[in-house]
Amino acid sequence: MRVILRTKPRKKPFIPIEAETIIPQNFLRKNDIRVYEGNKERRLEEIFYITAEGPAVSPDQVEIVLSGETGNIKRVGEYMNAGRIVVEGDIGMHCGNFMSAGEIIIKGNADAWLGREMRGGTIRCEGNAGHYCAAGYRGEKRGMRGGLVDVMGSAGDFTAEYLSGGEVRIHGDCGDLPGVEMRGGTLTIGGHCHRPCGNMTGGTCMVFGRVYDLLPTFRGAGNEEREYRGQRCQMMLYKGDTANRGKGSLLVKKNLNRTGTD
Amino acid sequence: MKIEDVVCPFCGCLCDDLVVEVEGTRIVSVENGCTLANEKFMGDHRLKTPIRREGKGWKETTYDEAIRETAQILCDADRPLLYGWSGTHGEAQSIGIHLAEILGALVDNTSTVCHGPSILAIQEVGHPGCTLGQVKNRADVVVYWGTNPIDAHPRHMSRYTTFADGFFLKDAFRDRKLIVVDVRKSESANIADEFVRIQPGGDYAVLSALRAIVQGKRSIIPPSVAGVSREQLFRVADLFLSAKFGAIFFGLGLTMSRGKSKNIRNAIELTEELNRHTKFIISPMRGHWNVYGSNEVFTWITGYPYAVDFARGIAFYNPGETTSVDVLSRKECDACLVVASDPGAHFPKACAEHLARIPTVQIDPHVNATTHLSRIQIPVAVTGIDAEGTAYRMDGVPIRTRMLFKGNYPSDTAVLEQLYAIVKEIKGP
Ligand code: SF4
Repeated sequence: MRVILRTKPRKKPFIPIEAETIIPQNFLRKNDIRVYEGNKERRLEEIFYITAEGPAVSPDQVEIVLSGETGNIKRVGEYMNAGRIVVEGDIGMHCGNFMSAGEIIIKGNADAWLGREMRGGTIRCEGNAGHYCAAGYRGEKRGMRGGLVDVMGSAGDFTAEYLSGGEVRIHGDCGDLPGVEMRGGTLTIGGHCHRPCGNMTGGTCMVFGRVYDLLPTFRGAGNEEREYRGQRCQMMLYKGDTANRGKGSLLVKKNLNRTGTD
Repeated sequence: MKIEDVVCPFCGCLCDDLVVEVEGTRIVSVENGCTLANEKFMGDHRLKTPIRREGKGWKETTYDEAIRETAQILCDADRPLLYGWSGTHGEAQSIGIHLAEILGALVDNTSTVCHGPSILAIQEVGHPGCTLGQVKNRADVVVYWGTNPIDAHPRHMSRYTTFADGFFLKDAFRDRKLIVVDVRKSESANIADEFVRIQPGGDYAVLSALRAIVQGKRSIIPPSVAGVSREQLFRVADLFLSAKFGAIFFGLGLTMSRGKSKNIRNAIELTEELNRHTKFIISPMRGHWNVYGSNEVFTWITGYPYAVDFARGIAFYNPGETTSVDVLSRKECDACLVVASDPGAHFPKACAEHLARIPTVQIDPHVNATTHLSRIQIPVAVTGIDAEGTAYRMDGVPIRTRMLFKGNYPSDTAVLEQLYAIVKEIKGP
């Protein structure tokens, strides 16, 4: 079954829509689906032109396609556990919060908290992601725990904060403090970043671009070879963060390494 | 008439030893206050009656009309924002939160532009703190990090630290070591025993380095960290470790620079590390008078200290998403009520522009920058001068402020109670 949701023009287009109900399992049951526009509850058809094609007997046979002005729609795919969501343009905050299975494809950019505390499944974002991509909620001790977040563009600050499991790949640059408080899982950064892995206690972070302002509490621990996009790369290995327990691994591509701590 | 032990209604120190002379409804002199306090008590920019914008000018209106129109504006909105609260007393803040709940509004206080990041860090790792009285009587090492108390909290040093003798420190000025950490040599740095000058944005790295040194991992530290030499870092760490009781006070230089809440978290973790060796505390230099109280009142009622979104009838909190600056810069809200704050002066330009675009109502005694962005302004009494109520000092101690004289203005509580009643009537049961 393919459900196409195309946004209708709105009087106040800057007011975000909260749409955690947009997940494949809800369309299977054909429930009366509601979303919030500011403090007003709306029926789905007040916000979208809806077209449904074909049958489905289980949520993994449901594909939802979102198109139009979707950059202000939040929480799409929250708690998703099967099926597929394709966003033709940009998507708002918290896309794929807590998702455990299924696939989300975003053809544009994703706003902050993409894949927050995700447990499983795949999110692929073809544009850029905002701050706190694949991170945890405020005060939460564990961020993303499983699955894959694959961002073809760049990501903002605090990417993969509290990463505890699963894999995060940012093929472009990251902002400040990617992998901060990281405790497990793998973070791969294809481009440059600032101050990776502050206070990390576990997990592995690989940076194939330049690291700016490497923190002074990472201890050099030799060299390793890693593969990125079909190329073998020589990497410098750092153990850290020694301000904390120092049990994480940060690998930085050679010749593009440490700058700015002095 | 001279009134003693008056509480100053300006900064988070809430100095409670002022002597104010009152003649009728006029303050004629203030003793013991700093220049900021004198200006607050003696300043004369108060609006006489409620005003509403008409065309390019302002027209006077009545309290009843202004409050009724405000209620209608807020009820018509799909995403109203109720912002401010830090300049008023807890009783008024409490009504504001209940108002937000029935409106389905966002309610936020000035922490959003000051110590919001400190709260985020405290939510992650806790807060090893104490009252200012403990600091005054015990602290032999005092650190001001990213804050310049001589300008921003002028009596902090004389009441609680460098110039205040305490029970265990009979000659405070000589017995206490003062360390100032900043990106520039401030006035406070001029009187410090040790001034640590950090490159802008380098606080996180310096804090990490100090944590490692305190843990005994000195060998890892490079010759210089964010402009601070290894020797100075060792010296500062040794000063910390030699303290019988150390106190770190931090300001917006730490909360609002690169790294934000993570800087504070690192500073708290340094404090925790130091507590394995000696007694150390850390405390934010809260600026806006009762901002600590707004965090308290918000938390009692909603479970969250600021940036609370009631759009869906339940409290949701996510700074970065539900904070006023973010919401305004994304042009989300379609009406705003400002109470006891001046976002027109403190917020980025894009936010001020949006406030001017939407119907903004201000409840404030004074004409300020936000007045120029507002459609309606309702003047009220100033808490601690012609209104009374409870406020919290920066260390979380509640202090009851008194009314020095009965003036002609209603208090924030009175205006908000009336507004609440009208909103309730419009919304129905
Ligand atoms: S330090 Fe603050 S509270 Fe004390 S008198 Fe000055 S402005 Fe008022």
